[in-house]
Amino acid sequence: MTLTWLHLVGLFCLGAVAGCTGSLTGVGGGLIITPILTLALGVPIHQAIATSLCCVIATSSGAAARYIEQHLVDIRLGMTLELATTLGAVGGSVVAGLLSREALAVLFAAIAFYAGSTMVRRAFIQEPAEINTPGSYQVKRLPLGLIGSGGAGMISGMLGVGGGVIKVPLMYLVMGVPFKTATATSNFMIGVTAAASAFIYYARGDVRPEVTAPAAIGVFVGASLGAHLLRRTPSRWLIMAFSAIVFYFAVSLAWRALGGGFSG
Amino acid sequence: MVQAGTSNKGQSAIAAVLRYGSVFSAVVMGFGVLLAFVSGRKAPTTSHVSPAQLMIKVLQLDPMGIAELGIFLLLLTPVLRVAVAAVGFGIERDRKYVLISLGVLSVLLASIAFSLR
Repeated sequence: MTLTWLHLVGLFCLGAVAGCTGSLTGVGGGLIITPILTLALGVPIHQAIATSLCCVIATSSGAAARYIEQHLVDIRLGMTLELATTLGAVGGSVVAGLLSREALAVLFAAIAFYAGSTMVRRAFIQEPAEINTPGSYQVKRLPLGLIGSGGAGMISGMLGVGGGVIKVPLMYLVMGVPFKTATATSNFMIGVTAAASAFIYYARGDVRPEVTAPAAIGVFVGASLGAHLLRRTPSRWLIMAFSAIVFYFAVSLAWRALGGGFSG
Repeated sequence: MVQAGTSNKGQSAIAAVLRYGSVFSAVVMGFGVLLAFVSGRKAPTTSHVSPAQLMIKVLQLDPMGIAELGIFLLLLTPVLRVAVAAVGFGIERDRKYVLISLGVLSVLLASIAFSLR
């Protein structure tokens, strides 16, 4: 792939949209970066996932810094669960290297569909009112939490997504962590988890600077724009619109994989 | 297990690593991409070189070499964050979390070692 103005601007815009929607809806841009790179730009899916992992780190680092300054992150819990997410992520990235493009595309479509429906559901359910303030809760069922985090890490490493759709309910519903703390802590863990697997992709030569650098710069710009644009909960239609895009690409990716497969 | 926050100093150190590490990596990536246009050089098709080769490319002002260095810095930011947290827990004499942080760090370092083979 030669670097043209068009490619650069396209990749930058893709990153900016992903970063912006990511910080507005709370769901990382990983869900749209991989399918758009694969379907629209013809990037092989393993390289697309590697790019997405780097973009996920770019989103997470900025957001996590803000969450830490607001004292919303449970750093000790995050660090503990990262033991499991990083191991899972390394495992997931090794497995991804063994899977065909079509198999990866179908798996990606499945997780994107699940994440999309979680978003729609969350848009219509009131965010739980918090009585607990961070620090006043007891973490329950840590072993189960570690197992679940390992699974979330594996999915992240295999498909290049952040895995918040698994970690947030895991911490909130299973481990008894307040919702806001669970969201912030999940975000805090994403960068480390994605880095653990990104190095494996890097070793395979799947991290292409000409694709990743413009997209990641776009994510930085988009994510900080999103953070300044809106400080309240995103409107329902925005979430619906974003999940419609996620659904559309999930279906097209699965269609393409099950239909003719990917050439080249 | 009662979850107390780390000290304020430790927290702001971690936040600073994440913020400045990511901004710095973005600047380096941006410099590489801009240079690619100014120089009009075509993007090479090889990636994954040894650190020594990468540094030579950077010193030669190879645009994609610089972009790749930026990506590497982006990937190293979370690793540095874990190391800083380990030091923070050490200052607080919280041995359990020093060990946990070092555990996470060793998974990351193993992954890096694999990528530099």
